[in-house]
Amino acid sequence: MMRASRLLVIATVLLAAATRVEAQTTSQPSTAPATEPAKGTGHVGAARAWPTAGADEGNRCLVCHSAQREAASVGVHAEHGVRCVDCHGGDSTSRSLPGAHGNGFTGRLAKAEIARLCGSCHSDPNRMREYGLPTGQLAEFRTSRHGQLLFGQHDGDAPTCTDCHGTHIIYPPYDARSRVYPTSIPTTCARCHANAQRMQKYGLRTDQLEQFRTSAHGVTLFQKQDFAAPTCVACHGAHSALPPTRTSISSVCGGCHQLVAQAFNAGPHGTATRTGRLEGCLGCHGNHDTQRIADTTIAAQCDRCHGGDTRLHQVGIDLQRRMVRARSDLRSAEHAVERLAATGQRTADARFRYQSALTDYLQIAQVQHGLDLDRVEALEGRVSAGSIELDRMALTSEETRWEHKLLLLPVWFLALSAVALAGLSLRTVRRTGADEAP
Amino acid sequence: MADSERGVVRLWAERLWGDLKASTDANLLGLLRFLGLLYGPIDTSLPIDQAFRKALRNRLPARAGWREAFGGVTYLLFIVLVATGVLLSFYYRPSAEEAYQSVQHIVSGISLGWLMRDLHAWSANLIVIAVLLHMARVFFGGAYKPPRETNWLVGLLLLFVIFAFGATGYLLPWDQWAYWTTTQGVDVVGRLPLLGDWLGELLRGDPIVSGATLSRFFAVHVILLPWAALGLLMLHFTLLRKHGAAARARVQHGQAGAPANQGVPFFPHHLLRSMSVGVLVVAIAITAAVLRPRDVAPPADSAHPPKVLHSTWLVADVSRALFHYLGAWGFGAFLLLGLALVVLPVFDRSPDRRLRQRPLIAGLGFAFFLGFALSWAAGWRLRMTSSERELAPLTRPALAVDSARTASRAP
Repeated sequence: MMRASRLLVIATVLLAAATRVEAQTTSQPSTAPATEPAKGTGHVGAARAWPTAGADEGNRCLVCHSAQREAASVGVHAEHGVRCVDCHGGDSTSRSLPGAHGNGFTGRLAKAEIARLCGSCHSDPNRMREYGLPTGQLAEFRTSRHGQLLFGQHDGDAPTCTDCHGTHIIYPPYDARSRVYPTSIPTTCARCHANAQRMQKYGLRTDQLEQFRTSAHGVTLFQKQDFAAPTCVACHGAHSALPPTRTSISSVCGGCHQLVAQAFNAGPHGTATRTGRLEGCLGCHGNHDTQRIADTTIAAQCDRCHGGDTRLHQVGIDLQRRMVRARSDLRSAEHAVERLAATGQRTADARFRYQSALTDYLQIAQVQHGLDLDRVEALEGRVSAGSIELDRMALTSEETRWEHKLLLLPVWFLALSAVALAGLSLRTVRRTGADEAP
Repeated sequence: MADSERGVVRLWAERLWGDLKASTDANLLGLLRFLGLLYGPIDTSLPIDQAFRKALRNRLPARAGWREAFGGVTYLLFIVLVATGVLLSFYYRPSAEEAYQSVQHIVSGISLGWLMRDLHAWSANLIVIAVLLHMARVFFGGAYKPPRETNWLVGLLLLFVIFAFGATGYLLPWDQWAYWTTTQGVDVVGRLPLLGDWLGELLRGDPIVSGATLSRFFAVHVILLPWAALGLLMLHFTLLRKHGAAARARVQHGQAGAPANQGVPFFPHHLLRSMSVGVLVVAIAITAAVLRPRDVAPPADSAHPPKVLHSTWLVADVSRALFHYLGAWGFGAFLLLGLALVVLPVFDRSPDRRLRQRPLIAGLGFAFFLGFALSWAAGWRLRMTSSERELAPLTRPALAVDSARTASRAP
């Protein structure tokens, strides 16, 4: 009894496994009518025939290479009919190993060869036109530090295309599963750049990702899922990855923070950057751990370099004082608008004034990068004036409300008089015996 | 004025008065009884003015005192609400586009418009307190016992009508607080088992609270409920006149040292007392309206819940506190406790009105009223902070409440 049931279990398991195997080999996407299966046509680097979606018979590679089965139907290459032989060569229809691995089979490629192989399609505008993809990646890559190491110094540790994009299952960058989706890019770079052993050879630090996560950019990217924030490639380049030089840092940051960069370059710190005495934006903001600088710490920031100079120390203090005051004026302006609205007044005019004050305030943050103190003073004055005006409007409205309180005097006077009269009347009535039963 | 002219006017006035008396009869006073403005039987054999004077001399039960004033206070507040409500409806526009601006106009553009609005809002709060005090007096005084069971039922229906008035009126200002509190409330109704979906749809008239909801809430608030209230009030007063006001327990058992129905006459004693109470209540309502006006919140925005949600009606505070501390089940249990009061006269039929004789009932009642008071105190402290996650309409699991955070939009 036991033995029979055990045999039955084993038989069922085997049958299920066999069914699964069968099901997987037969689940090929057929996106085009069955044509002659493409055959590998030669050595690496040559342009290949257009890949076509083969019939089931055409992809026998997966019978042995079962680990790649998923890749045959998942990912952007599979969706567009790129198959094993299109990159690896060989004969996908053959039922024998020598046959399958004949016909220009390339097997596992070296890293530099991988880059050229990818480039054989992805640098060909004629092929990529159909997909609207750019074709300069390989050329850019050659100029990058990664490319220089790979092609120039034949460094086996340098990355190639597949290290970032994946080997067999590749998703387009806009797909959240992709390794180069914006929120995935930092971790993809960190696969090497956070690995102390690997980076030791190049003398590179490995704490960039850690720092980036806590930075304002990192928080915006990872926590707010706001893709306006930069990833590694936004500053370092994607395929042309190079670290920015000292003098180019402001331009890199200025790519997004344009008005701030303009003001900075026009001011004394811009001059200092151009002459190499200051690392541009990094002087105050940090590179991977970029933080917003709070208003209340501006003077401390200035003191880091200028603490010894009394005049400049005072400039820092003045600047801080103005910015802090501007912010508190703006807050009270906002509050004044709410107070006005609460009394039932129309607030269109007030809101317009608030917007003007807000615009002026935002400009202070930009202008102070150029240390144009007169302009900062002027803007701060305008924020303050706007706030005072709004406060005045709110106060007028509240005073009207306060006048309502005067109503209480006659109301209570009348009420208490009425009650007093009622009481007196009641007492009179009782005393004169008018409440006797009739 | 010359003597002859004065004589002519007097003659004319007397003739007018005589005509009026002749053309009416004492049955007209029955209407005043219906409206709760007269006590006692009407002697219809007399002409109207004599019948009126006789009715005024009707006596209340012995020892009827200040506790018995709460019903009258409730009625007075109801009249204040009707009067201010009518005045508000002269200017209020019940459409999603115009409602907010019409309220702004009432509050800032019309003389004493602010008073009408704030008095209306405050009376809505005070009437809930008054009706619950009245209910407590009736409950603990045993005045729901036979033969007054129907009146108890009518009174409970009036309580629901008052709650419905407040719930529907809450939405009408169409600002953020009104909109989102109503959204939460209707969501809760929508999550009731069985009937929830249908009820929610019926209340909202749309998948979310919108102009359709405003229209139907306004219609219910201004047309449907006033008629219901009028009918129920008339019934309430009729039944009260029929059975007479219930004497206090001590009087009932002859312990008060006075004959049971030898209280003070309606006129002038009770009228003066009622009038004093009434005047004070209105003065208090006006004071509250002046010192704590109902602010105008930002206009309703169905896409963005506010960061702070103020409550301006105590029933909303109570509901929110019950949900927060006891969850949906606790809220339901409290509702059931309230509904159990409906069937109370079925179980408690003995004529003895002393509290001592009915400890269980007294305990239940105590739990209900104390629970209400505690929930109100708890809800008062709760300031609602919302995030989009918490106030996402329709599919939220429970009302969540965070500690207060002040809004700050400045960079």
